[in-house]
Amino acid sequence: MALISRGFHGRRQDDVDPSRLPPGQYVTRDFPVLSAGPTPHTPLDEWSFAVGGAVGAARSWTWEEFLALPTETVTKDIHCVTKWSKFDTHWTGVPVDTLLEGTDPWGKFVVAWCDGGYTTNLPLDDVMGGKAWVAYQYEGEALDPEHGGPARLLVPHLYFWKSAKWVRGINVGDHDEPGFWEGYGYHNYGDPWKEQRYWSD
Amino acid sequence: MEGAALLERLAAGAPLTWRVATIRDIRPETEHAKTLVLQVPEWPGHLAGQHVDVRLTADDGYQAQRSYSIASAPAGPDVELTIERIDDGEVSPYLTDFAQVGDQFELRGPIGGYFVWKASLEGPLLLVGGGSGLVPLMAMLRHRRAAGSDGDARLLLSAREAEDILYREELDHMGEDSVAIQITLTRGKPPAGWSGSTGRINADMLAALGPPPSEHPRVYVCGPTPFVEEAARLLVGLGHDPSIVHTERFGPSGG
Amino acid sequence: MEMHTDGNEIAGLLQEVFVAEITDTMRMCESCHHESPLGAHRLYTGAGYVLRCPNCGDMAAAIAVRPDNYALTMRGTWMFGRVE
Repeated sequence: MALISRGFHGRRQDDVDPSRLPPGQYVTRDFPVLSAGPTPHTPLDEWSFAVGGAVGAARSWTWEEFLALPTETVTKDIHCVTKWSKFDTHWTGVPVDTLLEGTDPWGKFVVAWCDGGYTTNLPLDDVMGGKAWVAYQYEGEALDPEHGGPARLLVPHLYFWKSAKWVRGINVGDHDEPGFWEGYGYHNYGDPWKEQRYWSD
Repeated sequence: MEGAALLERLAAGAPLTWRVATIRDIRPETEHAKTLVLQVPEWPGHLAGQHVDVRLTADDGYQAQRSYSIASAPAGPDVELTIERIDDGEVSPYLTDFAQVGDQFELRGPIGGYFVWKASLEGPLLLVGGGSGLVPLMAMLRHRRAAGSDGDARLLLSAREAEDILYREELDHMGEDSVAIQITLTRGKPPAGWSGSTGRINADMLAALGPPPSEHPRVYVCGPTPFVEEAARLLVGLGHDPSIVHTERFGPSGG
Repeated sequence: MEMHTDGNEIAGLLQEVFVAEITDTMRMCESCHHESPLGAHRLYTGAGYVLRCPNCGDMAAAIAVRPDNYALTMRGTWMFGRVE
């Protein structure tokens, strides 16, 4: 093992319930800002969210229409592939189930696409059944641009690169299409409890 | 041509291996910064502007790694790092507040081939530093002094307050090395009798310091990302050839 | 605030991959054809690293540091110096 530096501990939280911590993770009180590119700044009067692709009826909402949708406030643990986890984070957003209502998807896969060009792919099942939201508030306040504001996808049961920042739409497809990180070496599915970090895991 | 020659020299030193550095001495620089003097066995030497990667491992195997610019001139036997303490940082508070003489950590280097300067390179030298961005630039000035060079060299330094200026005394004596220095303070009231500038760097400060683009200086800009990008923008706006402006951006996670 | 640094930050990692110092290597962007050294490219840290052209922001490289290898996806024309 590498040389141990006397007394080094880092900024980890120690007294954590181990049953809540996936393998290989550490708990942080910070909220690290990670990104594949510059923070986009789409004006809200130009923002829209769209559900399209392999659906019977595509839908889209302006920002005002989006804010009028029913929301949920949830408390979730989140897990980043870079090994930090954060417990009990509070988010408010529109359940993806609500966004899919009436669209009649016939494909089994989705790609979330975002301002700045980022994408991530998921099975349709993983964004339904109360497992995913499009969140626009974090800890009771408007979501910061550096954390994905105005709105980001929230899929806490998977590694957090799947919770795509600056999300603008979900495209349903009839085949699986790897997104940004999935195409560059990261796992296609990303279950933190099975430590599915990389493509060959 | 010189890029290829440097590459050859540095390539000869590859691959990088982790070595054990032992703290031989600690020198306070400012309230927030200390210089660690490190003994590194079989240190291959370095070029001014290069940095090292430092790795700390906790007893449960948790690791954190950060890069620090080498502050010392290439000629010395030790490796000196000037660490600025970042509040809420993970590594810098350990190195500035906790580490003692005799403590050890892992280090690899020297690293870098783009942001380097050698006294044998021709042309005037223009250095623009923001905060702890001064560290690699100071290595360049110390190297210049050790090499006995008297070529045209100028430094524009931006610091928050006078107490934050690293290497203050050494900078005050830079006139003896014929280095032209301009310092600007960006925060709060300057101390009584302050003869430097105040406010963020701007085109006028750079134009006043010189040298002009027609003299083809080699330019090195280092500091936080917004500072470096603004300085580079101003330099190009003054007419400097973008390809001779070397940049090194420090991030907020450099803690 | 722009949360990026530059290629200098991963100089050590790149030296592990290429077994040579390459931040001085020039890259020509396939989108804007601008030439600049890798050390001057913008570095973003996400799940892995992303290097972007300092002129147009297009992706130059994506790097995943995996347990047994590095997964490198490179774009544009990278011009490595010849060592005679």
